[in-house]
Amino acid sequence: MAFPGPILLKRIPAEPGGRHLHRYDDYVATGGYESLKKALAMPPADIVKLVVDSGLRGRGGAGFPCGSKWTFLPKDIHPRYLAVNFDESEPGTFKDRYLIDYDPHILLEGIAIAAYANSITTSYIYIRGEYHREAQILEEALAEAYSHGIFGQKHAGTEFTHNCYVHRGAGAYICGEETGLLESLEGKRGWPRIKPPFPAIAGAFAKPTIINNVETLACVVPIVEHGAAWFKAMGTPSSSGPKLFGISGHVNAPGVYEEELGIKMSTLIEKYGGGVKGKFKAAIPGGISMGILATNQYDAELDFDIGKKYGVLGLGTAGVIVMNDQTSLPRILRNIVRFFSHESCGQCTPCREGTSWMHKILNRIVAGRGKPHDLDMLLELSQTMGAMPGTTICGLADGANWAVKTFLQKFPDDFKAVVKSPLVAGVSVPMAVTVSGAAAAPAGV
Amino acid sequence: MAWIVENRLKAYTPTRAEPYLTDTMRKTMEDTYLLRYPRKQAALLPLFHMVMHEYGYIPAGAIDEAAAFLGITQAQVQDAVSFYEEFRLQPSGQYAVQVCRSISCELAGHEAVLGKVRELLGTDPEETTEDGKITVFAVECLGACEQAPCALINGKLRGNLRPESFAQELQQLPPLPQHGDHSAGNGAAHAAKIPGATASKVEPEVHGH
Repeated sequence: MAFPGPILLKRIPAEPGGRHLHRYDDYVATGGYESLKKALAMPPADIVKLVVDSGLRGRGGAGFPCGSKWTFLPKDIHPRYLAVNFDESEPGTFKDRYLIDYDPHILLEGIAIAAYANSITTSYIYIRGEYHREAQILEEALAEAYSHGIFGQKHAGTEFTHNCYVHRGAGAYICGEETGLLESLEGKRGWPRIKPPFPAIAGAFAKPTIINNVETLACVVPIVEHGAAWFKAMGTPSSSGPKLFGISGHVNAPGVYEEELGIKMSTLIEKYGGGVKGKFKAAIPGGISMGILATNQYDAELDFDIGKKYGVLGLGTAGVIVMNDQTSLPRILRNIVRFFSHESCGQCTPCREGTSWMHKILNRIVAGRGKPHDLDMLLELSQTMGAMPGTTICGLADGANWAVKTFLQKFPDDFKAVVKSPLVAGVSVPMAVTVSGAAAAPAGV
Repeated sequence: MAWIVENRLKAYTPTRAEPYLTDTMRKTMEDTYLLRYPRKQAALLPLFHMVMHEYGYIPAGAIDEAAAFLGITQAQVQDAVSFYEEFRLQPSGQYAVQVCRSISCELAGHEAVLGKVRELLGTDPEETTEDGKITVFAVECLGACEQAPCALINGKLRGNLRPESFAQELQQLPPLPQHGDHSAGNGAAHAAKIPGATASKVEPEVHGH
């Protein structure tokens, strides 16, 4: 099936002038809350099965199957919580903000359906502190939803009652990590937790908790409306459904666009993003943690298999960042590593110190004082199991590692060109680790 | 740097006799936020958003009062509050200008924006202008990469910045009433910062395109 046109963005026209915030009445007038009505007439277990059958995978970055996550909740432990992850702090990612700016009720409807399906009485929308406007929009949309009986009271003919609250973060990237989010929700510093126990068993306030991304919950609404088969007909076998793609960087029309999963990056950029400004050099497929796509990977299919096929970590948030041939990749890598160094929560030493040293090394490379040995050091740090990989509680350090190793592996010449100076004046030092081989690692490691 | 815990023993801005957690704040907490969570401590972030809104920073006295109010230790409050970048333990200018410096904004020239701001206002990031009006911060991704380079002025998003006109706009910002000055309708510019505490409608989006 060809992509039938906007689904999640059906209320948001592409032209900026035609967009407006849909309040409750606008939402209902355009078919809103019909899926909730339909869902409330179904046994909860059937909705969970529907979501499992749809193949919906999490839209927040990891791509974990949403339906499976729901089935992990233990049967008899109550209360249970739903935490909606609207932290959206990954550089290059702005899709959820865009959706909520114009259509907040689609999220609220998705929350209500998920809550009913999983017998959840309370949900928290964890929104990053910087999204002031969106927090206000959600508060107003919630007030409308409460006054129309969506939340706060028993729905006719069911025992279902649910409360939903906005919980604002205060400027910390790590609170987008699901257990960091839970800590922050509990009023503590956002330090990720060691797992297990997984949140489905002991999450918020030590109770079973589901954590879903904004877009994931929005997808539940059309799934209930049109069915699992309809959803699965879009995308690829392992990556079904529509997806919000953010495009930023060197393109003519940056923005959020909806397409089915599996679309070629080149098509996305040319059909929606207005084409590359200048000549394409590289792109990041979905937020800076994912690593980089090389110049000859312009046609990469954007789906959950992209990691295996193209040597990146994954699709991530599908926030595509495009770079043209005037871009200095050492500078961009420094920016990325600075981000991770700044946002490391400091809990695990290899991440706190490792990202900081990566930043220092890249600072000196960018300043023209880099040594060939610095590149070897960066590679060893980023890809040797036991250096930074495999030593931390959460995935933040791996985000930095994937960026560093893929930049160096796919664009070695860009880095070699800026580290020409020998370690000691007049002495040329051979590189212990070649930066061109994908499997480069020092012997004996 | 989220992991540097502020030194609890350093000299702080003079405390005052009257409590920092006002009666209005306590009432809002009890009528709204405390009801939302099974544990009082979970209301810590909403409480300190209110403190930030009221004073523009987190006075040390507010930390002690919050500990008593939430039934946890001062150290627990300090530990949490000092983790979050938006909770500032030092006063800043009337306008907090947060200029994004992450990848998409670097690709779109955020350095030129910061450079022009430095030239016209005479301040580097983290510094406040001499008249106490503006503090500029260079921050990580604001989630508005399609409008890069972008910034927040007291929480309000400004996108597609041009260095010259943005720096001029900052110079021309009108003075605000002092924080905590209720007689002058304090907080009008910040009203959107406390969802639920105001009946005001969200402002229409400003299109930068």
